[in-house]
Amino acid sequence: MLNRSGRLLRVYWLEMLMVLPLILYIGLLTLVPVLQAIGLSFTDRYSGSFPTLANYQYIVSRPDFGAAVFNTIGITLIGVTLEMTVGLILALMLARSFRGRGLFRTVILTPMGVPTLVAGAAMLYFFRTNGYVNELLLRIGLIDVPIYWTESGLRGIFAVALADMWKVTPIVVLLLLAGLESIPGDVYEAADVDGATGWEAFRFVTLPLLMPSITMALILRAIDAFRIFDVVMVMASRSIPVMSTFVYINYFDFQDQHTASAAATILLLMIVAFVVAYFLIVERRRGELA
Amino acid sequence: MSTHAVAHAATTEHARSQASTARLVLRIGFVALAAFFAVMTVLPLLILLKVSISAPQDIMTAHPPFGIYNPTLQHWRNILNSDALWSSGRHSLIVATGTAALAVLIAAPAAYVISRLPRGWRYGVILALLFTRMFPDVAIAMPVAINFLRLGLNDTDLGLILAHLVPNLPFVAWILVGTFETIPREIEEAAFVDGNGKIGTLVRVVMPIAAPGIAVAALFAWLASWNDLVYAIYLFLGERTLPLMTFYYSNRGSVFDTATFAVLLTIPVMLVTLALQRYIQSGTLSGAIKG
Repeated sequence: MLNRSGRLLRVYWLEMLMVLPLILYIGLLTLVPVLQAIGLSFTDRYSGSFPTLANYQYIVSRPDFGAAVFNTIGITLIGVTLEMTVGLILALMLARSFRGRGLFRTVILTPMGVPTLVAGAAMLYFFRTNGYVNELLLRIGLIDVPIYWTESGLRGIFAVALADMWKVTPIVVLLLLAGLESIPGDVYEAADVDGATGWEAFRFVTLPLLMPSITMALILRAIDAFRIFDVVMVMASRSIPVMSTFVYINYFDFQDQHTASAAATILLLMIVAFVVAYFLIVERRRGELA
Repeated sequence: MSTHAVAHAATTEHARSQASTARLVLRIGFVALAAFFAVMTVLPLLILLKVSISAPQDIMTAHPPFGIYNPTLQHWRNILNSDALWSSGRHSLIVATGTAALAVLIAAPAAYVISRLPRGWRYGVILALLFTRMFPDVAIAMPVAINFLRLGLNDTDLGLILAHLVPNLPFVAWILVGTFETIPREIEEAAFVDGNGKIGTLVRVVMPIAAPGIAVAALFAWLASWNDLVYAIYLFLGERTLPLMTFYYSNRGSVFDTATFAVLLTIPVMLVTLALQRYIQSGTLSGAIKG
C-alpha cells in the first residue's frame, strides 16, 4: 500500500503539486472558517464553555430573528417564483427567431452588467415613499396616500424580491435558453404529427425535457436568494432583517460573534435542508414518473 | 360539382383569413410583451442616471416628475473632485485585479489536472466545487474577518484579495475545467513525443490554447471582486472600496451621491459584460449569478 502510493507520487508528483494550492485554499479559507463559525455558535459567549445550546436558546427568543427567518423564506419564495416564471417566458420568447432578437437579448441581459448593490440602489428610487412607484400609482389614481414600501412585512418582502428579481432574471433566462436550445427539433415534429396543440407540446414535450435546466436554475437561484445581503443592506438594512443582515448586525452592532455564528449556522442548515428536500421530493417523483 | 369547389374555396379562404388574424394578434401580443420586458429592464438604470444629473428640486419632493427638468452636473463634479473616489477606486482596482490574477494562477493548474481525471472522479470534484456555494458568505466572511484581525490583514488590499478568492476559486476552476476538457489529448501527446517535458508541454502548448478561456474566467473573477460588498464590509473597517462608498452614501441617505456612485461603479462592469456577452454560456454561469 505504502509502496503503491509512493509510486503514484513518483508518477503524478506534478499533477499533485498543481492541485494542492486549490485544495489547501478551499480547506483553509472555506472549510476552516465554516467550522469555526459552527464551533463559535456552540460556545458560550460568557464562560466560553463548549458545547452549549445557549446561543441557540437566546437566538430563538429574539423577535427580530423570527422576522429574519420569515423574511428570508418569503423573499426566496416570492423572488424565485417570479424569476423562474418571467425567466421561462423570456427564454421561450428568445428561443424563437424574430427580427431584432439580438438587440432584445442584449437589452434583457443588461442587468447582468449591474452590481447587485446598484440594483438595490436603483430600486430605492422606485420604492421610496416619494419614489416613482408611488408617484405612478398616485397619478393613475390607484392610491390616495403614498405607500411605505420598505416596511417590515409582506410589502417589504415584495419590494426586495422585485429588486433581486430584476438583477438575476437574466441568468435564469440564459440557463433555460441553453436548455431549450439543446432540445432537438424533431421531437416537436413528432408532437406535431401526433396532433399536439401548442400548449400540449409545451406541457408534455418542452417542460419535461427542460426539467434538468429548471432544476439547476432553481437550485442556484434559491441558494443565492437564501443568502441575500447586498440588496437588503441598501434598501432596508434595519427595517427588513434577513438571515445575512441579522448576522452582520449582531457581529458589528452588538459585537456578538456567538449569536452571529448561530444565525450563520442556521442559514447554512436552511440552505442544505432546501437542497436535500428539493432532490428528495422533486427528483424522486420525476424518477417514478419516468 | 363546381359549386362545391367554390364553397370549399370560400371556407378555406375564410379559415385562412381567420388564421392570419389570429397570427397578427399573437404577433402584436408578442411585440407588446417584448417591449414591456425591455422597458422594465432598462428603466431602473435610466432612473439612476436621471437622479445623478437631476437638481434636488426634481427629486427631493413629494411628487417627483418623471422627466428631467433641471439637469445639473453638480453631483458628478462633487464626486469626481472628492478624495474618497480616488482612494476607494484605487482599492477596488487593485483588489479586483489581484483577485483575478491569483484566481487564475491557483485555479488553472488544478483545473487542468481535474479535466484529465476519469469521468466519475471529474464529476465528483466538480460537484464538490459547486457544493462550496451552499456555504453562506456570511458564515465564511465573519470568521475570516476575526482571523484576519489577528493577522493584521483587515483594511489591507492583500486581505481582501485573499477573501475574494474564497468564492472565486471554485468558480474559476469550474469554468477552466470546461475549457481544458475541449483540448484534445492527442495535441499534448504529440508535443510530449516531440521532446517537450510535462511542464514544457503545459506551458508551451496547453496554456496558450486555453488562453481565451483563461481570460474569460479572469474577467469573471475581476467582476465578482469589483462588485463585492459582503467580504469588503467585513474586512474593510477604515478603508473603503467603491461598493462600500455606494453603501456608505445610501446608508447615510445621500440620494445624489448614491446614484452617482452607483452609475460610476456600473460603467466598467457594463463595458466588460457587453464584451463578454458572446462568451457567456450556461456552463459558465452560476458563479456570475451574484454578479
